[in-house]
Amino acid sequence: MTLRLGALVMLAALLGACASSTGTRESTWPNSPRSGDAGTTPAPSTPTAPATPEPPVPIEPVKPVAPDSPKTAEAISGQAVVSLMRKAADARSQGQLDLAASQLERAQRIEPRNYFVWSALAKVYLDQQQYDQAISVAGKSNSLARGNPYVEIENWKTIAKAMEARGDSIGALNAQGRVEEIERALGGG
Amino acid sequence: MARSSPSPVRRLLWIALAALVVGLSVGGLLLSGYLIQLDQEIRNRFAGSRWALPAQVYAAAQDLYPGRRLKAASLGHELDRLGYRRTETLSGPGTYVAGKERVDIQIRAFEFWDGPQPEYKIAVKLDEGGIAEIHDLEADAPRDIVRLDPMLIGSIYPQSQTEDRVLVRLDEVPELLRKGLVAVEDRGFYEHFGISIRGILRAAFANMRAGKVVQGASTITQQLVKNFFLTSKRDFKRKAKEVLMALLLEAHYTKDEILEAYLNEIHLGQDGDRAVHGFGLGSRYYFNKPVSELRTHEIALMVGVAKGTSYYNPRRNPERAKTRRDLVLKKFFEEDLITEEEYTAAVAEPLGVVGGSGGSVERYPAFVDLVRRQLKGQYQDDDLTNEGLRIFTTLDPTTQEALERNLSAGIERLEKNRKLKAGTLQTAGVVTSVDGGEVLAIVGGREFRYAGFNRALDSRRSIGSLAKPFVYLAALASQPDRFNLHTIIDDEPIEMKLPNKQVWAPQNYDKKLHGPQPLYMALAQSYNLPTVRAGLEVGAAQVIKTMQAAGYSGQAQPVPSVFLGAVDIAPLEVAQMYGTLAAGGYQSRLSSIRSVTTKEGTPLDRFPIKVRQTLPEGPTYLINWALTKVVQIGTARAALSAVPPGSMLAGKTGTTDDLRDSWFAGFGADRVAVVWMGRDDYKPMGFTGSSGALVLWTSLMKDLEVRGLDMIPPGDVEDQLTDTFTGLRADQGCQSTILLPYLRGRAPVEFAPCATAAVHTPLDWLREIFE
Repeated sequence: MTLRLGALVMLAALLGACASSTGTRESTWPNSPRSGDAGTTPAPSTPTAPATPEPPVPIEPVKPVAPDSPKTAEAISGQAVVSLMRKAADARSQGQLDLAASQLERAQRIEPRNYFVWSALAKVYLDQQQYDQAISVAGKSNSLARGNPYVEIENWKTIAKAMEARGDSIGALNAQGRVEEIERALGGG
Repeated sequence: MARSSPSPVRRLLWIALAALVVGLSVGGLLLSGYLIQLDQEIRNRFAGSRWALPAQVYAAAQDLYPGRRLKAASLGHELDRLGYRRTETLSGPGTYVAGKERVDIQIRAFEFWDGPQPEYKIAVKLDEGGIAEIHDLEADAPRDIVRLDPMLIGSIYPQSQTEDRVLVRLDEVPELLRKGLVAVEDRGFYEHFGISIRGILRAAFANMRAGKVVQGASTITQQLVKNFFLTSKRDFKRKAKEVLMALLLEAHYTKDEILEAYLNEIHLGQDGDRAVHGFGLGSRYYFNKPVSELRTHEIALMVGVAKGTSYYNPRRNPERAKTRRDLVLKKFFEEDLITEEEYTAAVAEPLGVVGGSGGSVERYPAFVDLVRRQLKGQYQDDDLTNEGLRIFTTLDPTTQEALERNLSAGIERLEKNRKLKAGTLQTAGVVTSVDGGEVLAIVGGREFRYAGFNRALDSRRSIGSLAKPFVYLAALASQPDRFNLHTIIDDEPIEMKLPNKQVWAPQNYDKKLHGPQPLYMALAQSYNLPTVRAGLEVGAAQVIKTMQAAGYSGQAQPVPSVFLGAVDIAPLEVAQMYGTLAAGGYQSRLSSIRSVTTKEGTPLDRFPIKVRQTLPEGPTYLINWALTKVVQIGTARAALSAVPPGSMLAGKTGTTDDLRDSWFAGFGADRVAVVWMGRDDYKPMGFTGSSGALVLWTSLMKDLEVRGLDMIPPGDVEDQLTDTFTGLRADQGCQSTILLPYLRGRAPVEFAPCATAAVHTPLDWLREIFE
C-alpha cells in the first residue's frame, strides 16, 4: 500500500518534472484548478432540458434504434405547442401554407428546440416549393432530434422529396436510402 | 309727345348699367370657375387617402400559455406597458384585475397578420412555475394559448414631412370625445352650414376695433379647411377662400365625415421633430392606449390641449394643462355631457400622462432604425411613409427593457467605481434568439431613448479576442487530423515580418508565457500566442472564411493580426456570428421583422424563419464546448453567477489594444447577447472584456433568467474520458481526467499510462516494480 502510494508520488513527480520542463514559466496547465474536472464537469451527454428526455443516441456509423424515442410531438411538447401544431396541420391541409408556417414559427418561439416543430416546418417549406429551406430545416430538425428515428425518418422523406424536386436525383436517392435504413431498423427493432 | 333722342345723362346711365351687367356676369363667371376649382380641390383631397400615413411599427405580440415562466408581477408590468388599466372588475377591453395567483384580463381585439383576434376575457392562474392555467371566462373553457395585442413602438415617417398619425374611425371614438370636442370647439357644428354668421360678426367686430385680425370665428369645418388646404397666414383674402371652401365641404360631405376628418387632422402635440396629429396617435402619445379606452379626464385633457399644444403641453406645463383640463371638464358638465359625480371624480384625477417629461411614442429608436433599414431594400420610401403599413417586428419589450436597464445602470456603476467622469463610457448591446435569429432587443448607446448614433449597427470596432473561437473552429474543421480540443499548442513568443517590413510580435495579455496549452484551455484563458500559432497553421484566409460562414459580412485582409481580432465589426454582426455558433452551425440571418400588412390588415409580406447550415456541426459543437470552459474555468467565470448552479453558459471576452474596447459575446440555450463598451473617441478606457462588458452581460443574463445550455453532442461527436497530462485515453485509473468531446473516430485510441486498461507501457513496468 505504502509502496503503491510511493509509486504514485514518484510518478507524479516524474510527470510534474516533464510538465515543467518548459522552464520556470508560470503555468496554469496542468497544475490547474480543473484537476477535478472529470467529477465536476457536467457530462455533456446529460440532457438538462425537459424537451429532450431521451439519452443521446449515436447515429453514425451504425444507427441503433432507440425504441424509447418519443414518437409524436405530444410526447415532448407543451399544450400550447401541441395546439399550435394542430392549427398548423389544419392550415396546411387546407393549403394555407403561410398560416401553417406562422403557427409553427410561433410554436418554435415557445419551444425553440422542439424537433417535431422544425420537422413540420420543413414539410410546409416543401409544400411551398422552397426546397433549399425544406432541406435545411429538416437538417436542423435532425440535428436537434439527436437520433430519434421517428422524426428523422420524416425529415429524410422531406429531404428526399425536396432533392428530387430540385433535380438532384443522387441526393434524393441517398436520402431515400436513409429512409429505408431507418425503416429497416424500426421494423427489425 | 315726339320721341326725342336720349339725353346724354341717360345714355351714360345706360352704358353704366350695361357695363355693370357685363361686369357682374364676368365676375360671376370667374367666381364660378374659381368655385369649381376649389370644389375639385376639396373633392380630390377627400376622395382618396387624405393623409400620408407613416407605417406603424409593432413589438412582438406576447403569447400567454400554460407552462410559460412568468410571475404575476411581470404579467402586470407587461399589461401596464400595453396601456391596460388595472381595475376592480373587468370593465371593457384593455382592463385587468390583478390578484396574487390569478390575473383576469379583458384582451383587446386586434387584427393580426394571420387574421383578426376577437376580444377575450380570460383568467390567468399562476403558481411558482409561472402560468398554470388559462381559462376563457366567456366560453368557460380552458385555453391552450392566448395572444396579447402588440405594443405600438414607433412609426416610419419621412424626414421632410414630420406629421405622424394613427387613423381612427368615428365609431371607435368615445361619444364624450365627439360631443365634448364639439361643445368646446364649435357648439353650433350640427346646425351651421360650414360657417357661423354669428361667430363671423362677433369676430369682425373685434377685428375692426383692433384694426387688424385678432380673432377667428372658425367652425370645425373651417379649421379643417384651414389645416387641409391653406397656409397659416391670416388675411382677408385667405379668410374668404376658407369660407368658400367650408361651404363647399359642407355641401359635399356629411357632418360625421367632416368631424371624423377633423379628429384625425387636429394637431395635438410635438414630439421632437415629429408632429402628433389626430386623437388616434394623441391617445397613444399621452396615455399609451387606443382612443376607445380614453377616460373622462383624459378626453378632457386632449380636448383642452388642442387649443394650444405648446402652451398647454401637459408634460412641460402640467399645472397650466390641468387648469385647462378642469375648465374643459366644467364645460362638459355644464353641457350635460357628464354627471356631477363624474365631474367631481375626473377633476380629482391626476393628469395621468405617460412617460414623464420627455414621453414619446418612439420608445426604441435603435430598434426602429434597424427595422427601417431592413425594409429599405424591400419597399419604396413612399410606401413606408404614406401607406400606413403595419409592421410586426420581433422586438421583445421585456428583453429590451432589461438590456436598456442593465447597460445604462451598468456603465454608470463602472464609471463610479473607477471614478471616471460621468458620461465617459459608451455602450451598445444586442439580444437575439438562438434558433430563428430574431433580434429581440437593441441598445445603440447609453441615451437609448434618443435616436442618434446607433452603435449597435454602425459602430464597427476591433473585436479582439472575440475572433479566437473562429480561429480554433477553422483549425478543428479544416484539419481534424491535426487538431482536437486537447491538441497541445505552445505558448511561446512569435515574431513575424509583415509585408510592410514591420515586425509583428504579439504577446499574451498578461505579458507572460504559460507553457504548452491544450487547445480548449488556450481558448478558455484567451492566450494570444497559441491562437496565433494555430491560426498560422490554418492560415488567415481560412479563418476569415470561417468568420464569414458565421455571418461576418466584411472582407478583412488575410493577415495574422486577424487571429487576435484586428477586424472591425458592429455588435449586431457579432451577434449574428455567435448566433450561428449557438445554433450549432445552422445560421438564421438576423431579422427584426415578422410580417407586414396593409393598414386594413391584408398580409403583404412575411419574413419566415430561414435556416442554412453554414458551419459544420461537429467542430461547432467542440468550440461551443470550449466556450463553456471560458465561463467555467476561463476569463468569464463571473458569468456563472447569472445562472443557477449546474447550468452552463458559453461566451467569449474581447479586449483590444490599450483597453479601447471591452466586449462580451455569449449565449445560453435560447438567447445570444453581445455587449460592447468603450469610448466614442477611441481612447483607452481602462476596462478589459472581463472587467467591463462581461459585468454588464452577466447582470443582463441574470435579469433575463436565461436558460442554461443543453450540451447534447451531435451524431458526429463522441465523448471520451481523457488524461489531462498526456491527452490520451483515460479511465478510472487516471487521477486527472476530463470528459472531452471529439469528432467521431478522432478520439485518442491509445490509453494513457495511468489507465488501468493500459498494458505493457513503460510506466506499467515502473508500477510493477513498486508493486
